[in-house]
Amino acid sequence: MVKSKRLYEQQRLPDKRGYFGKYGGQFVNEILMPVLIELDENFDRYYPTSEFQEEFHRLQRDYGGRPTPLYYAKNFSKSIGSKVYLKREDLLCGGSHKLNNALGQALLAKKMGKSRLITETSAGQHGFATAMAGRALGLEVEIFMGIKDIARQASNVKRMKLLGAKITPVKTGAGVLKDAVSDTLREWTSCSRTTHYLMGSTVGPHPFPKIVAAFQSVIGKELKNQILEKEGRLPDAIIACGSGGSNAIGAFSSFIDDNKVRLYFIEGGGGNLDADNSAAAFQLGKPGILHGALIQVLQDEYGQIKSSKTRAAGLNYPGRGPQICYLYDTGRMKVGYAFDEEVFEAVKVMCQTEGLIPALETAHAIAYMLNHKEEFYGDEVIVLNYSGRGDKDLEVITRRFYGD
Amino acid sequence: MEIKEKFRELSEEKEGAYMAHIYYGDPNEEFSLSQIEILVKHGADFIEFGIPFSDPTADGAIFQAACERALRNGITPPKCIQGIKKLRENLDIPIIVTTYYNIPYIAGVKAFLSEIKEAGAQGIIVPDVSLEEANPLLDAGREVGIHVIFQVTPLTTEDRLRRIAAAASGFLYVVNVEGVTGARETLADSTLKLVNRVRKHSDIPIMAGFGISKKEHAAAVVSAGADGVITGSALGEIYQKNLENPEETLPKIARFARQIKQGCIKGYIRRLNAQNISYEEV
Ligand SMILES: Cc1ncc(COP(=O)(O)O)c(C=O)c1O
Repeated sequence: MVKSKRLYEQQRLPDKRGYFGKYGGQFVNEILMPVLIELDENFDRYYPTSEFQEEFHRLQRDYGGRPTPLYYAKNFSKSIGSKVYLKREDLLCGGSHKLNNALGQALLAKKMGKSRLITETSAGQHGFATAMAGRALGLEVEIFMGIKDIARQASNVKRMKLLGAKITPVKTGAGVLKDAVSDTLREWTSCSRTTHYLMGSTVGPHPFPKIVAAFQSVIGKELKNQILEKEGRLPDAIIACGSGGSNAIGAFSSFIDDNKVRLYFIEGGGGNLDADNSAAAFQLGKPGILHGALIQVLQDEYGQIKSSKTRAAGLNYPGRGPQICYLYDTGRMKVGYAFDEEVFEAVKVMCQTEGLIPALETAHAIAYMLNHKEEFYGDEVIVLNYSGRGDKDLEVITRRFYGD
Repeated sequence: MEIKEKFRELSEEKEGAYMAHIYYGDPNEEFSLSQIEILVKHGADFIEFGIPFSDPTADGAIFQAACERALRNGITPPKCIQGIKKLRENLDIPIIVTTYYNIPYIAGVKAFLSEIKEAGAQGIIVPDVSLEEANPLLDAGREVGIHVIFQVTPLTTEDRLRRIAAAASGFLYVVNVEGVTGARETLADSTLKLVNRVRKHSDIPIMAGFGISKKEHAAAVVSAGADGVITGSALGEIYQKNLENPEETLPKIARFARQIKQGCIKGYIRRLNAQNISYEEV
């Protein structure tokens, strides 16, 4: 009993050195250590105060539109065979869960006296959320984005520009998220006194995974109240897509101690599971160090990090965050993946059953349910964390279905 | 040659030390080998031998491009270690390996350090290992006989500086600008302050790096109390302009090394003069 209690604590919070089990840590240059320590101290100082909580809550509610609804997707449920609820993070202003974290960190940055936010983005959802939070709180914003992502998420680039964010194209590597994170880290080493790196997911060096998880935990808290109200009991399973893991950890946060609630994490399968064609780091990766933490990561035999591949830009990262890695290692969470083709089919099903266009990322969780109906029983209540809407992917989706 | 011995030799000759940083295999191994030969012939006292990594987050654009090219051209850590062995056939000065932590982590930290030791290296710099994460590296280094070189920066607090100085061996790498590697025109005053701050805690040799690209930079840093300087991306900048025939840039690289070394000598003499010991400036 005592032992399992400690395990739950480890699953929720890292140790003092920023480790979830063997994952996490602070693998960064000495230049960044003082600012990470400063960030950790300030988070612990401000976050628990009622003043911070009130301000954060007010922003989430009045600016972001929280709480997001929990929707009983009756028609979609029929195609699965169990009762499926969607936690509607697509209805958060900006179109995805990313604003939860962006508002929280922007508020923290402001308290710390920083005047500027930098970040990276792939799907553009986190970049857009950061641009919004920057404007709402009066902070300058610069966003690093791979050139490949700039091309495939053009509508989000326009939205970020409209909000006055500076977009810096990243040409190095494959011009995708991994390369943009590297460049943002580089930029941060030269300006950390005045600038906060608003990390977009539960990745990077400690304390980022802890901080992002805290700001996303609102999803799970709301979800728990809502499902108790609607069903009078906890769900049998929660399913979320992810790469770094922020929407999944947010949704799981209030249920980690409840072993009866099954947790599913769905990563980007890409084209297939052959090397260089996938983003499924739990299938194809192994423990290694990337971007400041020890995580499950795609790499070659010598430890060179490989580029991931998936049509969903937001899942296109070669590593999984430390907490997600730990939840998987301890057996608390089940891991799955969906291939690009299956994901497009899932988009179609959600459009036709519920009239909702999901983000390609979110559609991974939908595809998993559709392809693994046998794992979900008739009398079960399942919550799918509906992390974002698909407007940003409209061009890619329509081209896939109707050609040019 | 041991690191300590090199510093002793240099202080007897009244010279600041010059460490030249390259990434091995950019654009190919042959060029790296001849580049190192030229650097040593024209003044380098230490070679910082970079093993390319896919995501060198503490390096600027020049070295990032160098790593990318070298990897694209097929360089691997075992080939790099072979390169160190080749160099050792007729090179006596200390070789310090630089690479990112995932490379030794995947090979096994102790196994990796043993291999570079056997190949002939004296030390290792791992820019993405903070003091907090350094124990496996420090333990293996002690066991195998490889110095683990730490970096300190103007942002490093007094308390960290003391702890890092206590853990460091070989020498301390002082990062003199707030930023990643990249040639800069002016040398921040903060270097001078930082050298003095380190000296309060330790008499370990200090090498100042990041952004040193001119004789005057080297002279300023050494006269302020650093035992030597490190140049990196300034070298990369020279041969990256002629990647088709990088050998053609070797005379320029030779001239660059001579300039930096002259700065190291000049700075040393300036420092001795300031301490009221009179030496002719040469
Ligand atoms: C809609 C949506 N869902 C999921 C993700 C994946 O991120 P995470 O794993 O942090 O939830 C993204 C990332 O951009 C996204 O835009």
